[in-house]
Amino acid sequence: MAAATSTSAKPFDIVATYNELLRSDPDLTMPIAAIEALVLLLTHSPSSTISETLDLLEKSTAHLKQSIPNPIGLSAGTDLFQRYLITTLQRPGQLGPAGDFNAIRAHLLSNGRLFIRRAKESRDKIAAFGRGFVRDGSTVLTNGGSRVVASLLQQAAGEKGGPSAVRFRVIYVLSPAKGDVEGSSAEPEGMETVRALREKGVPVATIPESAVAYSLGKADVVIVGAEGVVENGGIVSRMGTYQIGLLAKAMGKPFYVVAESHKFVRLYPLGQYDLPIEQRVIDFKTEEDVADEATQQQQQAQPTPNVKSPDSSDVVDYTPPHLISALITDSGVLTPSAVSEELIKIWF
Amino acid sequence: MTSSTPTAPSPSPAAAAAATPTTSTPSTAPTSSKPTKQQPSSQSQKPSKSATKSKDAATAATSATAAPADSATAQLTPAELKKRAKAEKAARRARERAERESSGPAGGAPSGGAATPGKKDGSGGGGGGGSAAGASGSKQVPRRGSAQNASQNGGGGSKADDKNVAVFGHLYGQQRRTTVAGAGKEVHPAVLALGLQMRDYVVCGSSARCVATLLAFKRVIEAYTTPMGTSLPRHLTTYLSHQITYLSTCRPLSISQGNAIRALKLAISSIDPSTPEAEAKAFLGEFIDSFIREKITVADQVIASSAAQKIQDGDVIVTFAGSSIVKQTLLLAHKQGKKFRVSIIDSRPLFEGKSLARTLANAGLDVQYSLVHGISHAIKAASKVFLGAHAMTSNGRLYSRVGTALVAMSAKERAGGVEVPVIVCCETVKFTDRVALDSIVVNEIADADELITAEPMQQLTGLPDPAAVTVSAADAKKGGGGGGGKSAAAAAAAAANAAAESNTLAQNVSSPLTGWKESANLQLLNIMYDVTPAEYVDMVVTEMGSLPPSAVPIVHRMSTNL
Repeated sequence: MAAATSTSAKPFDIVATYNELLRSDPDLTMPIAAIEALVLLLTHSPSSTISETLDLLEKSTAHLKQSIPNPIGLSAGTDLFQRYLITTLQRPGQLGPAGDFNAIRAHLLSNGRLFIRRAKESRDKIAAFGRGFVRDGSTVLTNGGSRVVASLLQQAAGEKGGPSAVRFRVIYVLSPAKGDVEGSSAEPEGMETVRALREKGVPVATIPESAVAYSLGKADVVIVGAEGVVENGGIVSRMGTYQIGLLAKAMGKPFYVVAESHKFVRLYPLGQYDLPIEQRVIDFKTEEDVADEATQQQQQAQPTPNVKSPDSSDVVDYTPPHLISALITDSGVLTPSAVSEELIKIWF
Repeated sequence: MTSSTPTAPSPSPAAAAAATPTTSTPSTAPTSSKPTKQQPSSQSQKPSKSATKSKDAATAATSATAAPADSATAQLTPAELKKRAKAEKAARRARERAERESSGPAGGAPSGGAATPGKKDGSGGGGGGGSAAGASGSKQVPRRGSAQNASQNGGGGSKADDKNVAVFGHLYGQQRRTTVAGAGKEVHPAVLALGLQMRDYVVCGSSARCVATLLAFKRVIEAYTTPMGTSLPRHLTTYLSHQITYLSTCRPLSISQGNAIRALKLAISSIDPSTPEAEAKAFLGEFIDSFIREKITVADQVIASSAAQKIQDGDVIVTFAGSSIVKQTLLLAHKQGKKFRVSIIDSRPLFEGKSLARTLANAGLDVQYSLVHGISHAIKAASKVFLGAHAMTSNGRLYSRVGTALVAMSAKERAGGVEVPVIVCCETVKFTDRVALDSIVVNEIADADELITAEPMQQLTGLPDPAAVTVSAADAKKGGGGGGGKSAAAAAAAAANAAAESNTLAQNVSSPLTGWKESANLQLLNIMYDVTPAEYVDMVVTEMGSLPPSAVPIVHRMSTNL
C-alpha cells in the first residue's frame, strides 16, 4: 500500500501533497499540514473497512515520516490524527464498529476538517493568552521564524497608536541567511516579522546569534516558538534555542515558549543526542576528508548542495524543561510539568 | 513472578540471638496472640510483669493518696482528661525505664527510688510527679508511636533504648517476628510461610512481595468458608486483615502490597452479598490473577520494552542493587542485539546486585560489579543510569533501596561532564499518594545485626603464632568481642585456616562489632530505603508511558480511579 501511494501507480502522493500544502499556505504548521494530507488521503482512497483505513493510515504515515528529514513536528500531527481516529471508531453508537462504514468515513472527514480549522484558530487564542506576558515598557528577546510568536507580538502591538497598544521593544535574534528554503529570498528567517512589527511602530533591534549573551541584559523576557513540545515539557526547536534558554536561566530572565497544543509530541528525549532524527551538526573532518568530499561533489555535479542546504537550516536542538518558565498554549498557560498531564489526557 | 533470591550471608549470630527468646518466652508468659509480647532480646534478666506486680504492692500506701483525685475525674473536661492520660503514660514509661535500670548491672538504687513517685501518678494522680520522673530518668528520646515502644521496651532488653538511633526512633516500633509461634489461629499456613520468607528476604523486592502476597491470599480465599450468619463481602475483609496484620509483623508492608491489598478489598466489598460463595470466590481468584497479570507481569514487559529503546550501542549502563525490572530491561536490550556494558553498584548487607551480575553475565553481557564506595569511579564511564523503585511518591520522589539517592546524585552532579540521564523503571502499582520530603519520616529499619556478619577473611599475612590461637580464641569467647580488637580477629582468621571445628568460632569473632549491644556508646543503623529528590530523576518509565517525575500523581490518580 505504501508503495502504491508513493509511486505514480496511484495518483495520490502523500509526500508531495504534504510539501505542496506547506508551500501553498505559509500559515500552515507541520502537524496541521500532515493531518490535512492524511485527510486528503482518506478522501482519495476507496477504503471500505476500518482496518483497511487504519492500515493505510499507518503505512502512509511511516512513509511520510521517512521521506521528511525532520519528522518531529509532523509526527505530532499524524499521531494525534491516528489517536483521534481510533477513539472515534471505538466509541459505541452509530459511528462505532457496528455502524455503517460510509457514515463513519464521512464523519471522520468532516471532523478532520473541523480539526484543521480549529488548529488554525488556536493561534489567535494563544495570542490572547500570551498578550499579558508582554508588559508595557518591556523588552522582548525572540528568535527564529515562528508564526505564533509573530502573531502574539503583533497582537500585543495592536493598532498603531490604538488604545490597547502595549509599548514594548523587541530584540530579534537572526541567524545568518541560509541558501534557500521555501522563502526563496536570501534574507534570514524572521525578517518578515521584523518588518511587520516595525510597521506597527514597535522598535526592533536585530542581532546575530553570537550577540545573545551580550544583549540579554537589556531584555526583560524571552519568548520563543517551538517545533514540538515533548512529554517532559521540554521543547524541540530550531538550533540556537537551547543556548538562549541556558543564557536566560543564567541571567534569571523568564523564558516563555509559545506553541499550539497540537505540537505536543509523544517523545521523551533524554538529551540533545537522543532525538529520533539524524543531524550532522558536529562533523569532524581532516584535510583528507575535505578533499575527498570535494572530488565527490564534482563527480555528482549539482544535486548535492540542494540536498544539503535544507539539512543545515532545519537542524533543531532540545531545550530541557528546567530552562522553561512556562508554555503559552491554546489550552492555557502551562508549566512544563503540566504538558505531560495534557498529553496523558489525550492518550488515555 | 519476579522473586529475587539475594545471596544474603547467613546471619548466624542474629539467628542465634533470635533463638534464645523463643525458647524463653513461653516459660515466662503464656503464648499470646499479641506480637508485642515477644521478648526478642536475650538480655531480659527477669520477667518484668511479676516485678511490676510486686512493686505495685509495695507502693500500695502511696496509691491510696491518689484516691481523692480519682473522684474528681467526673468534673474534668475532655482536654484535661487527655492531658492526664498523657501524664499517666509518661509516668508508666518512666517507671518501666526505672525498672529496667534497676535490673541492669549498674546504678540500680537511685533510679529505683525515682520510680516511686512515678508509680503514684500511674495509679491516677496529677501530672507533676510524672514529668519529674521523666526528667530524672536517663535522657528521654522524644519519639512517635511511644505506646508500642514502651511495651516493647518494658519486656525487652535493658539497653534496647540506647541502641535505637535517635533520629529514627519512631521507626523501631516492634521487633520483627522471628517465629510463627503466637500467630493467630486464623492465619493461613501459606501466609505463615510467606511471612517468614519475607522476613528472611527470601521473597524480596517490591513486586515480588506484592505478587507473593496476592498468590497467598488467593489460597486463603480458596480455603475460606463464610461462617454462619454473615456474608462473604462482610466477613472476608476482616478475615483477611488478620493475615495482613501477621504479614506486617514479619516485615512492614511495601507500598505495592498496600495498593494491591486495597484493590483486593475494594473488589471484595463490591461483591453482592447474595452471590453464592463459590461464585464469589471464583470471581476473586480471577480478580487476583488479572491484577497480577495487568499490573505486574504485562506491565513489566511493557516497561522493559520501552526502557530498552533508550539503550543505544556503546552505552554504559549503571544500575544499583538488583531490580528485577531493570534486569528484564537489560536482558531485552541485549537480546535485541544492542552492544552495551553494565556497571552494577551494590551495597551491604543484602548484596542484591550479586545475583543480577551473575544473571547478566550468564546471558552474555559485559558486567562490572562494584560496591557503592566505588560509585565515583563507576559513574565516570557511565552514559545512563537505570534504577528500580520501591515506590514513587506524589511529589515525584523515588523511594528505593538505600543508596539509590547516592547513585542518582552522583550521576547528576558528575563533575566535568555531560549530565547522565537517570531513568527509573516502575510499575504504576508502586505509585502512592503519600508525599515524602525526606527518608526519615517514612522508612524501614531492619535488624541491625545484619550489619555485623562479615565474610570469613582469607588472611595470609600477619598471622599469629599457631600456639596462641587456642588462648586467644578462649579470650575472645570470654570478652564477647567487645574489647577483643584486632588480635582476636586475626587469631580467629588463623583459626579458620587451621582447623574446621574452630571455623565457626572464627566467624563469630571476625567482626569487631560482634556484641555491640553490650558496649556503651555504640549504635548501629540498618536503614532500608532512601528518598531520591525528583530533580535527580529524568524519566520514569511506566506501563502507561514515559513520564517526568512530576506526572506521578496524575498517573496515580488515573490508574486508581479508572
